[in-house]
Amino acid sequence: MIPTLAGVILLIFLLFNWVGGDPAHVLAGKISNPEQIKNIRKQLGVDEPYLVQLWVFVKQVFTFDFGRSWSTNEEVSRILLTRIGPTLTVMVPVLVIETVLAVIFAVMVAYVRGRPTDRGIMAICTVAMSISFLVYIIFFQWLFGFILGWFPVQGWSESFTKNLLTYAPLPIMLAVAVGLAPSLRLYRSFFLDEINQDYVRTARAKGVPEKVVMMKHVMRNALIPILTNVGILLPGVFVGSFLLEVFFSIPGLGREIITAVNRSDFPVIKAVTVYLAMLTMIINLLVDVMYKFVDPRVSFK
Amino acid sequence: MKPLRIAAAIACCLLVLAGTAAHAQKKVLRMAFRTAETGFDPQRIDDRYSVGICENLFEPLLTYDYLARPVKLVPLVAEAIPEPEEGGTRYTFRLRPGIHFADDPAFKGQKRELVAKDIEYSIKRFRDPKNRSPYAWLFEDKLVGLDELAEKARKSDFDYEAKIAGIEVRGKYLISFKLKEPDYNFLYVLAMPNVVPVAREVIEAYPSDTHAHPVGTGPFVLREWVRRSKIVLEKNPNHRGYELDTRYANSADEWDRRAMDALRGKRMPQLDRVEIYPIEDDQPRFLAFLNKEHDVIDETPTQFIHQVLPNDKLAPNLARQGVSVFREEQPEITFDSFNLEDPVVGGYSPERVGLRRALVMAHDRDAEVNTIRKGQAIAAQSPVPPGIVGFDPAFRTQAQNHDPAKAKALLDMFGYVDRDGDGWRDQPDGKPLQLTYKYQVGGDGRALAELWVKSLSEIGVRLEAQPVQFSDLLKDKKVGKFQMAGSAWIADYPDAQNFLQLLYGPYTGQSNESRFKLADYDKLYEKSIALPDGDARNRIYRDMNRLLLAYAPWRLGVHRIYNHLQYPWVKGYKKHPILYTNFKWLDVDVTAQTVAMK
Repeated sequence: MIPTLAGVILLIFLLFNWVGGDPAHVLAGKISNPEQIKNIRKQLGVDEPYLVQLWVFVKQVFTFDFGRSWSTNEEVSRILLTRIGPTLTVMVPVLVIETVLAVIFAVMVAYVRGRPTDRGIMAICTVAMSISFLVYIIFFQWLFGFILGWFPVQGWSESFTKNLLTYAPLPIMLAVAVGLAPSLRLYRSFFLDEINQDYVRTARAKGVPEKVVMMKHVMRNALIPILTNVGILLPGVFVGSFLLEVFFSIPGLGREIITAVNRSDFPVIKAVTVYLAMLTMIINLLVDVMYKFVDPRVSFK
Repeated sequence: MKPLRIAAAIACCLLVLAGTAAHAQKKVLRMAFRTAETGFDPQRIDDRYSVGICENLFEPLLTYDYLARPVKLVPLVAEAIPEPEEGGTRYTFRLRPGIHFADDPAFKGQKRELVAKDIEYSIKRFRDPKNRSPYAWLFEDKLVGLDELAEKARKSDFDYEAKIAGIEVRGKYLISFKLKEPDYNFLYVLAMPNVVPVAREVIEAYPSDTHAHPVGTGPFVLREWVRRSKIVLEKNPNHRGYELDTRYANSADEWDRRAMDALRGKRMPQLDRVEIYPIEDDQPRFLAFLNKEHDVIDETPTQFIHQVLPNDKLAPNLARQGVSVFREEQPEITFDSFNLEDPVVGGYSPERVGLRRALVMAHDRDAEVNTIRKGQAIAAQSPVPPGIVGFDPAFRTQAQNHDPAKAKALLDMFGYVDRDGDGWRDQPDGKPLQLTYKYQVGGDGRALAELWVKSLSEIGVRLEAQPVQFSDLLKDKKVGKFQMAGSAWIADYPDAQNFLQLLYGPYTGQSNESRFKLADYDKLYEKSIALPDGDARNRIYRDMNRLLLAYAPWRLGVHRIYNHLQYPWVKGYKKHPILYTNFKWLDVDVTAQTVAMK
């Protein structure tokens, strides 16, 4: 993990310094002179030699203290803590619902593979995947939020329950609708791989009921790649969907990241990127550990 | 008859109860900002949304009359507008006694009165390097002794106790400013919504996050702030209140009449609470208004303009609901700068000037207005927008009109012809004429850049449009690393000088992005700032406009038109060209609002 983290730190640092823009010009306002720019660069520490800046960055990573936002002066730790809640309120249900539905539908269509139901659902999935997420949001926000009035067009409150039951359902529904098609296709292929294995044929030959074959033997083996895929999706849950957060006024991390990029707010970008890299590594580790419980053949060395 | 009487009595009781409930209900205004705020430390911000909030929390010495057009300065915490003394280099203000800051723990339970020292402290804050004030330029090379004090602060802490000749506190309520040079626009600077007094105790009590503790003397206080998500203002219980001044109202103006009818005799502010939701995307902001989740929408998104104003008339569905539209010509200009130091488009020789003028004439400005801006803009005739002191409605120019034939003729005349037969024009010395236009990623940037490419290809000039991130574009323009680039400028204060300074030679690398250095223009500019508003100064402004058109350091763009919508229960609405918000002059008919929302 340490070499990976070192690589991430170096990459972020290089990217920011080469293509990240000069924050001093943004902060200086519309009329500024070279002296002011110099003063701001000094205060931000971006006038220091690159090695010194890199060392400061490394210290920040290991002390989890990224200081304050350059544009709003808000503590970076506070930004992360206050924005993660809304993001998870939307993204956790999205991941859970999407995974459960995708697994259920994948088993069903894999079981009836080649038949009109399978072909029909696959065709719908292909069409659904061809439409941009933005189109879904624009159309269904207009339809469900404005024309039918089933959900508020946008908004967020301080109450978790109100958010989950009032403001989050439409964004969750849209994210699930968009994410379901690719997951379903992928998981169907995992099930099909297993269904065609010899052990399944053997079980059927031995007269094992079809329900047991599918739910016990096929499902268990297909869960390994599914778990890997969920592991890949999981870090995204913690940074949210920028589009959803912008369109539905959800004060989450995705929106914050885009604002930070637009304002060249390096402390926020640094913190989020490092936190995401660490999270990805931890999740990968956990997924590896979970393989053991799903498949007893996997062993730790 | 008895059951009828009982029913009537019950109905009466219900009506009375309903009326009482409506009366007891708080007057709440809900709206969206189209961009998120940054914070509310007035000396440390420059975005119009944060400044717009500060307009309600703080009070400057002077402000603008709500109804007067053209805009008119009126005193706010000052007792009167001072006359310029010592040839326009001294301004002395007497503060109204008895104005108090909103309560804050920093005052330790005491009422805190506004005094002259607060004004002195706040102005010094602009020049404290620690504050990185984006409006520091307002007080640069302006007040006697302040530059030297700021210079010292580069090596040590800013000395707020130091006395300087430029800011004299002559007692509890008296303050006098001494300027280095005459400046008749200085009063406008002191009316800016972030040139406002803050209390030193408050700033020092929350040094790490002054943005979150805005404590002023304004009519509202910040009650709740979920950053970039929700801003809630509530009526300041300490505030003395205002009444609408109708001296400068125009009775022929429908908006003035409506405001006077709605607000006459009322003690302002009437609103108990204002809820503001930053919504960056246009669709949810627009739908939230249509859904009556918001009471007003400022700056209706251009993409929905045909649904709101088909054929320039309010859509029937909105008219039926009693929605009103306030059309505002923004005191701003969009323009494209040529870099005058660039070896291809820069310079002052006849062929370079000819090249720039040809490029300007090749640009299809009508397509910009009608297609990209959807008719919500007017073509600029000079850098000075309408509604600004020094704007001359009679000043018209042909030099910026779309005329590809003239553009081609000009290029031919100065030797910009196709020499190698590749179908594109070359420079007089035979080198290829290949231009680049930098534009900001997002918004209308791409459409505007494509229009440039198309317009120039029609006269045989090759242009490459380069998308650039906002911060990079800012930097490139400041250091002159561009050939052509798009820009916009919105008025800080309502005087032509605020726009004409954008081409003043000594401001190269600061506000003068074009790096235009013309001795004649600079002399006229210096002459103009030493003159008060009047014919003499307007003549100079006209001459400066002519020089700009002759040398073409800019392609003049447009003055955008914004459409602000309100539901009928919002009373007293009128948009001010300089101030961004008008909460303190609004009222809400709660009963009508409640009925409509059901």
